[in-house]
Amino acid sequence: MNYIIEGKIQIIEVSLLVKMSLSKRELDELKPWIEKTVKRVLGFSEPTVVTAALNCVGKGMDKKKAADHLKPFLDDSTLRFVDKLFEAVEEGRSSRHSKSNSDRNRKRELKDVFGDDSEISKESSGVKKRRIPRFEEVEEEPEVIPGPPSESPGMLTKLQIKQMMEAATRQIEERKKQLSFISPPAPQPKTPSSSQPERLPIGNTIQPSQAATFMNDAIEKARKAAELQARIQAQLALKPGLIGNANMVGLANLHAMGIAPPKVELKDQTKPTPLILDEQGRTVDATGKEIELTHRMPTLKANIRAVKREQFKQQLKEKPSEDMESNTYFDPRVSIASSQRQKRTFKFHDKGKFEKIAQRLRTKAQLEKLQAEISQAARKTGIHTSTKLALITPKKELKEGEIPEIEWWDSYIIPNGFDLTAGVYSKRDNYFGITNLVEHPAQLSPPVDSDTPVTLGVYLTKKEQKKLRRQTRREAQKELQEKVRLGLMPPPEPKVRISNLMRVLGTEAVQDPTKVEAHVRAQMAKRQKAHEEANAARKLTAEQRKAKKVKKLKEDISQGVHISVYRVRNLGNPAKKFKIEANAGQLYLTGVVVLHKDVNVVVVEGGPKAQKKFKRLMLHRIKWDEQTSSTKGDDDDESDEESVKKTNKCSLVWEGTAKDRSFGEMKFKQCPTENMAREHFKKHGAEHYWDLALSESVLESTD
Amino acid sequence: MASSRAPAVRVAPGRAPLPQPGPAPSPRATKNKLSEDSDAPPPKRSHIFYGSLEEKERERIAKGESGLLGRERVKAAIEAGNINITSGEVFDLEDHISERQAEVLAEFERRKRARQINVSTDDSEVKACLRALGEPITLFGEGPAERRERLRNILSVVGTDALEKTKKDDEKSKKSKEEYQQTWYHEGPNSLKTARLWIANYSLPRATKRLEEARLYKEIPEATRTSQKQELHKSLRSLNNFCSQIGDDRPISYCHFSPNSKLLATACWSGLCKLWSVPDCSLVHTLRGHNTNVGAIVFHPQATVSLDKKDINLASCAADGSVKLWNLESDEPVADIEGHTMRVARVMWHPSGRFLGTTCYDHSWRLWDLQAQEEILHQEGHSKGVYDIAFHIDGSLAGTGGMDAFGRVWDLRTGRCIMFLEGHLKEIYGINFSPNGYHIATGSGDNTCKVWDLRQRKCVYTIPAHQNLVTGVKFEPTHGNFLLTGAYDNTAKIWTHPGWSPLKTLAGHEGKVMGLDISSDGQLIATCSYDRTFKLWMAESL
Repeated sequence: MNYIIEGKIQIIEVSLLVKMSLSKRELDELKPWIEKTVKRVLGFSEPTVVTAALNCVGKGMDKKKAADHLKPFLDDSTLRFVDKLFEAVEEGRSSRHSKSNSDRNRKRELKDVFGDDSEISKESSGVKKRRIPRFEEVEEEPEVIPGPPSESPGMLTKLQIKQMMEAATRQIEERKKQLSFISPPAPQPKTPSSSQPERLPIGNTIQPSQAATFMNDAIEKARKAAELQARIQAQLALKPGLIGNANMVGLANLHAMGIAPPKVELKDQTKPTPLILDEQGRTVDATGKEIELTHRMPTLKANIRAVKREQFKQQLKEKPSEDMESNTYFDPRVSIASSQRQKRTFKFHDKGKFEKIAQRLRTKAQLEKLQAEISQAARKTGIHTSTKLALITPKKELKEGEIPEIEWWDSYIIPNGFDLTAGVYSKRDNYFGITNLVEHPAQLSPPVDSDTPVTLGVYLTKKEQKKLRRQTRREAQKELQEKVRLGLMPPPEPKVRISNLMRVLGTEAVQDPTKVEAHVRAQMAKRQKAHEEANAARKLTAEQRKAKKVKKLKEDISQGVHISVYRVRNLGNPAKKFKIEANAGQLYLTGVVVLHKDVNVVVVEGGPKAQKKFKRLMLHRIKWDEQTSSTKGDDDDESDEESVKKTNKCSLVWEGTAKDRSFGEMKFKQCPTENMAREHFKKHGAEHYWDLALSESVLESTD
Repeated sequence: MASSRAPAVRVAPGRAPLPQPGPAPSPRATKNKLSEDSDAPPPKRSHIFYGSLEEKERERIAKGESGLLGRERVKAAIEAGNINITSGEVFDLEDHISERQAEVLAEFERRKRARQINVSTDDSEVKACLRALGEPITLFGEGPAERRERLRNILSVVGTDALEKTKKDDEKSKKSKEEYQQTWYHEGPNSLKTARLWIANYSLPRATKRLEEARLYKEIPEATRTSQKQELHKSLRSLNNFCSQIGDDRPISYCHFSPNSKLLATACWSGLCKLWSVPDCSLVHTLRGHNTNVGAIVFHPQATVSLDKKDINLASCAADGSVKLWNLESDEPVADIEGHTMRVARVMWHPSGRFLGTTCYDHSWRLWDLQAQEEILHQEGHSKGVYDIAFHIDGSLAGTGGMDAFGRVWDLRTGRCIMFLEGHLKEIYGINFSPNGYHIATGSGDNTCKVWDLRQRKCVYTIPAHQNLVTGVKFEPTHGNFLLTGAYDNTAKIWTHPGWSPLKTLAGHEGKVMGLDISSDGQLIATCSYDRTFKLWMAESL
């Protein structure tokens, strides 16, 4: 492979020489070089020799011919001159083709750096991108290069040369692409290789892990290559003369041959490339490939951004459809993070969207509820499937008072075609569903779990309490003493009081009684303080105390709410009303007061203790029959008389328990008609309280 | 130790602890001390200083005793093993001591815990606890007191939770087992199937007949019906205590009219059952056989009507689970029905008189075939004891009410539970079918009575009936035009049947009303009470 490459490079050089022999302009430019060479060889400038040499070069002679040609001018130094001349020519060429040449140089240098092995590994590592072009080269070579490079270049036809040139430039371009491909700042893998993928052999695949290692290698090498390239560039830049004209000549030659130079070169280039347009008006290069020209960019920032966005969008749209399918090396799992963030905009929902969703949810919930009900019923009665339930449930709903043909529970066992009307009650065996199976329906635990055993607290007598206290304190004291004895804790300081200070601190007390007394008093105060603090710490906070009180008042109604219903004949007195409301509120009772002529019903719900208190309020504490204030009776005597006749009183209609509260906060409701009152109760599912109260009052009035 | 008398130690040796008037330095010394720590009491010195060896040593060295001689000696001692020179290893006393201290403190804590643990004084219970903890229940020579102490010590180590946990686990497993129960079936005896077929054949014609009668009754013009109803209500309004009789010296738990309304059977907690002639309330028979509280005594549906006196006319049950069958001639039971292990609350005859239903506190109710003389059905389904049972007038259904606050209606032909009466908060103590065939009334411990419609399969009305638990409910047996409820608030009440408004309160008992009955002709109402009397109520005007 390397050999082939070397050969190729030589071919390129030769072709360049050949090309040079054809161009007059280039010869003109070579002239100073040759003059210089002549001067160097001969020691003086000799125009004839120069022209002769130029001629030789211009005609494309090789060394031997040139030597023959120049012999008459230079005699014995001819060979040396010719060598020099050709060297110079070559040098000039190399500097002219700074870019393409640098590529080649780089390649060589790379080879020097990595050696042959590395080259091979590089080749294999770059399988995805590189191997194929290489193979291509191998295949193409026999066609492109008709003969060995040592043969006379004059034998090459123009067409052949052109082909060679094309091949060479393509190769160069590819190299560049590969490098730019891997180099970090411009990761745009798709655009440059757009024309290549068709030729990739499918069978040539490698293991992913291998590929990864290869890839890493390749990246590493590419990085190094990039470094080298940079160094070369720098070196070249040090020789401005070389880049100056020779470069231009080479480029011009390239353009003349209709080959678009690599884009990077465009930057250093001052002359515009020839614009070739195809029939659709797109810019194309000589091979007919479409190329992107640098567009004139808008100068305003906003416009720039707009254009960029446009381009980005374009890319987004086009790229995937273009090559993602066709590229076998495209990994769909790897997402390409777009460099530009999507602009967030408002997304407005369509009108009625959520309504629809809600509707759907509601219907679904309804359905579920229905199903749950059915299953619940099935579970309770012990019938499993809903079909079975449907079998035993009444087929049609009967209206109140309607008498069915047959009771539904009977119809269930009667087979079809059973003659009911006939008075034949003969013994029959063909009933449906009569078996000797005994059902064990699922058992439901009762709503109120009274299983918990009632434990009575242990109450101690005063004596026992004292004994217990004594014992516990003694034990605590013993423990303390033990700890002190074992040295686990420091002994407490002697407890001194005013009364025992002489005994405890005898010496000191005698010496400085005032001081000792102060000390004793301080200790006493400290003790007192500690005691009080301990008490305060034990105390509930104001909130806790309040919560405790409320908790006690609210009681536990998880095991059923206690309800009582009272009937009051006359509840017109606002003072009484207030008493009812205030007490109910204080006792955390809920309920309702319905005011209707002489049937005023008070329903209260809550815990048993609160009920007890409320009952006492209603039946004993409030004096219902006491005369209302005289101011009321002044204006209408008649009503007053009536009310006197019917002494006001309150009676307990019912008290019992229910599962839940059915009323909210205590409210007063004025109901002019019985129906209204009943409706009000029915709304809370408690119409039977009203019924009972009303009928009791009716009964009372008839008595 | 040296805690209380610390100052004494500090005073120089040879000087008495108490201040003496003699030498001058002594008071000064104490004075100095006091001035040193003027605001605190004399501090305690935890160590005693005996002086240093340094001086002696220095003297010795000065004498020249050290040097070679000493070194040699040391060497010899090392060789002899009398002097051990370690290679710099250090035994940290501090750590060791604090560890030991922690141990001691933990022990103190444990002892404190042990003191606070309450251990049963019952030796067998102590043993049970030890067994539960996996400890030997007794050691050699160990008495109850030591055992108790041992248990206390063990508990102080493992914590009292250990015992509670095991108890809880037991309960939980029991509960989950129960809750896990799903509907399942088992095959009963073949006699069950034959009995069911028999019931089907018995009930279907009755049902058709009943429906026909209902249709006929419906054809009666509305006005006539209402007038009839009003008449009835009027008579009911005039109900009054007609007679009161002390039945026994213990509370009377149940009363039941004979089908011909001439006899009243009462059951008493004394274990005696008595038959009284009605309406004169004279004792006819005393049935001796039960030893404990008799729960119920009921007449065979055909007794005193078509049944022979020697036949089985009565059935009774008691709290010890005994069920006895009686005839009208002898004082002794004719037969015993055995098989109940727990209290039997109620017995009830099937309308055909062939079957007897009993409710038991073992969460089941049973159906006995008296012809075959065997238990044909042992029906479970309640999660607590079953209290009351009633049969549908056709004989096709049975309704049971249980302590689990639920009622169930069973189809006797198919064995299925066809309706689940859910709504009461507390135990159901009474259940009764209306003669119209589709109403069921249940009386419960939540002081309410609920009326259920079998046809609509729901509760149609809740009567806030009493101010204490409702012990019994009964429909008027002929047409079901009124409903009678009795309760522990010492009253029985009469309610119109459709409408459920109160008609009359039968107040007069001084104790809880335990049982009630309406004679089959609808004329008499009997209530029996905790106050050991039973009362008959009759409309005055008639």
